[in-house]
Amino acid sequence: MSIIEVKNLSYVYGANTPFEKKAVDNLSVSVNKGEVIGLIGHTGSGKSTFVQMLNGLLRPTSGQVFLDGADIWAKPKEIRKIRFRVGMVFQYPEYQLFDETVYKDISFGPANQGLSPDEIDSKVRRAAKFTGISDELLDKSPFDLSGGEKRRAAIAGIIAMDPDVLVLDEPTAGLDPMGRNTLLAQIMQYHKQRKNTIFFVSHSMEDISRVADRIMVMNKGRLEMFDTPRKVFSEVERLGKMGLRVPQVSKITSELACLGYDIPEGILTVEQAFSALLSLLKKEGKL
Amino acid sequence: MIRDITLGQFIPGKGVIHRMDARVKILLLIAFISLIFCAFNFASLGLVTAAVVAVILLSGISPKMYFKSLRMIIIIILITSVLNIFYGTGTPIFEWGFIKITLSGIFRAIFVTVRIVCLILVSSCLTFTTSPTDLTDALERLMKPLKIFRVKVHEIAMMMTIALRFVPTLLEETDKIMSAQKARGADMESGGLIKKVKALTPVLIPLFVSAFRRAYELAVAMECRCYRGGDGRTRMKVLHMKRIDWICIVFTALLLAGVILCNIFLPTVF
Amino acid sequence: MDFISAENVRFSYEEGTKNVLNGVNIKIKRGEFVALLGHNGCGKSTMAKMFNAMLTPSFGKVFVDGMDTSVEDDVYNIRRKVGLVLQNPDNQLVASIIEEDVAFGPENLGLTPEEIRRRVDEALKAVDMYDYRTHAPHKLSGGQKQRVAIAGILAMQPDCIVFDEPTAMLDPRGREEVLSTIKTLRDRGITIVLITHYMDEAVMADRVIVMDSGNVLTEGTPVEVFSQVNLLKKHGLDVPQATELAYKLLGAGVKFDKMPLDESECVSMLREVLA
Repeated sequence: MSIIEVKNLSYVYGANTPFEKKAVDNLSVSVNKGEVIGLIGHTGSGKSTFVQMLNGLLRPTSGQVFLDGADIWAKPKEIRKIRFRVGMVFQYPEYQLFDETVYKDISFGPANQGLSPDEIDSKVRRAAKFTGISDELLDKSPFDLSGGEKRRAAIAGIIAMDPDVLVLDEPTAGLDPMGRNTLLAQIMQYHKQRKNTIFFVSHSMEDISRVADRIMVMNKGRLEMFDTPRKVFSEVERLGKMGLRVPQVSKITSELACLGYDIPEGILTVEQAFSALLSLLKKEGKL
Repeated sequence: MIRDITLGQFIPGKGVIHRMDARVKILLLIAFISLIFCAFNFASLGLVTAAVVAVILLSGISPKMYFKSLRMIIIIILITSVLNIFYGTGTPIFEWGFIKITLSGIFRAIFVTVRIVCLILVSSCLTFTTSPTDLTDALERLMKPLKIFRVKVHEIAMMMTIALRFVPTLLEETDKIMSAQKARGADMESGGLIKKVKALTPVLIPLFVSAFRRAYELAVAMECRCYRGGDGRTRMKVLHMKRIDWICIVFTALLLAGVILCNIFLPTVF
Repeated sequence: MDFISAENVRFSYEEGTKNVLNGVNIKIKRGEFVALLGHNGCGKSTMAKMFNAMLTPSFGKVFVDGMDTSVEDDVYNIRRKVGLVLQNPDNQLVASIIEEDVAFGPENLGLTPEEIRRRVDEALKAVDMYDYRTHAPHKLSGGQKQRVAIAGILAMQPDCIVFDEPTAMLDPRGREEVLSTIKTLRDRGITIVLITHYMDEAVMADRVIVMDSGNVLTEGTPVEVFSQVNLLKKHGLDVPQATELAYKLLGAGVKFDKMPLDESECVSMLREVLA
């Protein structure tokens, strides 16, 4: 069943001025419950505008967003309720931390939801657990944490609202490989337990190929492709025209396939490439 | 939204006033303001008004922009002129209860209105035709003599430059933080004044933290670029007095002479 | 003689706290392109600030072109020779007009207006931002802003530019812009120190130095360093996928001469093996 359905969605910045710009152009898409959707496209392709319409931070110029079958703008006064159901982690979310302690900061969302103190406490602790924030860190000031810890605390602040849909805008930007791997693993662990829907916006094709069930490719405000990572990343040339890369191993194997070697399409990870090449080498008698 | 607020209404152009030296513009603005307040009869006021109109036409900026700047303070203009009507002395030409309107009151009101309008128009002309950087630059140079009184002229100008540079950045950041907190269910629209102020805490604290971080990083970057304060520093753009500046100065001097002559030889209105 | 030489550098931000640098020895020759690699908190950014005397060692010495960075009187001359480009392009730009920002450094050097003008124009052309000279910085993309920041350093005509994670906050397009700018600077003979945690950026360098918890872990040419896949992985670093793939094939008994560092090298390596 689809949890998010978007119909003919458009968003125009600065309508009726000389600076009018169509950021999202007649986009329709339907996403199933429990899916991890990767969202790629270069800067200015409209992906940030698109995700901000999913939780009602931006109101579409035309078109509709359905959450669980209901139009989110049916009652504009209750749009805040939508934001608890569609959690949004912005780029560099650590810059939104503000409270005295990490605990209080994480509880900001649940408190706005109007939950009871007990419920808030259990949600905060659960979210902290998912993101690897220890009890000791919970009592610290968020400004005393390291960069990676701040990032995880900020993400915990959204997870604590227990949203059905979680949007992550470049969650690994600026992290080093170790920080990135840890965070990705935590997000996937959370997804596995909670089984909610995740939108994962990223420039890192390696990250996307690791987590996504399906990938939305946006270009100039339009949805160019919406398919499995295997299918999307086998279109090396088409992505290249939009200024997008594919993971290194996908490029290597697809170039070999172009040269006439018998190698399967849509290879995403080093392991897949390794086993495909091994069998190819064995077949050619080189090993 | 918040990003639409523009600071220093500079409108790029290549008109006569645009090409003038910013220092001369500031000095002439001061001269004009004093002239406006030195006009004591209709002849001298007319002279000054004519000069202001000439300046506006020379600036090459659409009159619409000037009307816009007038509109912002229309209430102040109206209140002051209406009040002045009742403050006249002499024989009333209209009387109703305690309200007395005299001829001198009406004159007074006209004078005040024309003065305020002229004042706004010439000052807007300066901000319309001078880029903020030129303005701070000119101020720094004009204030240089104040150094003997230990006024930190260079530091003040540097602060203004940095402030101008970071206003758009911080406005954009405010927008971003507000969105981020709204996404966490922050309610910034409803509630009374106290509730609204309280709701701003999650925006203001991250904003301050970020401003301090930026300030620190900027200080490092400036030191890396050999910044050591104003001593020994030269500038790429040197302000030059050109012929146009001298011509404008001469015209202003003539205007000054005209206003003084009118004031001496014609009767003052009040 | 080495242009920059760090000798047994130890450093802690506050006395009595843990050392960020534990006796680092780094030598950089004039005209060399060195990548300094390591995960966050390994001390690489602290090291960057040592190179232009923004920080001085608690113990040990750093020499730049023969000058000791701890000698107060030489600091200004060291900063003229070694420019530092930081991570966040927004926080490096001082003025609200591009060309005036680029002029900031030369103005501090007390040059004549004509000379400043010449250098500003030249620097802006070198980073391909000349057409934007009268624009305001906040309207530019991240990559463009970072190029302006580079022009601001370049206009001071330094012998060496240290880049402290210049692409960490940029999108792929901005990254490419900045990296190709760095390559042109290298071709002009400027000594370059690139601090990064992106392996594919380090591949461009003549020499890679890997740091871990305040020490130099390993150094050598990119091929030599990235061949040590296990060591790098153990210290929380990635290697380019192309290299990792080749390394695995090597382990499985495939034979080839040179470790590939990017896609095209890997493809040609595999073609040779398959031929």
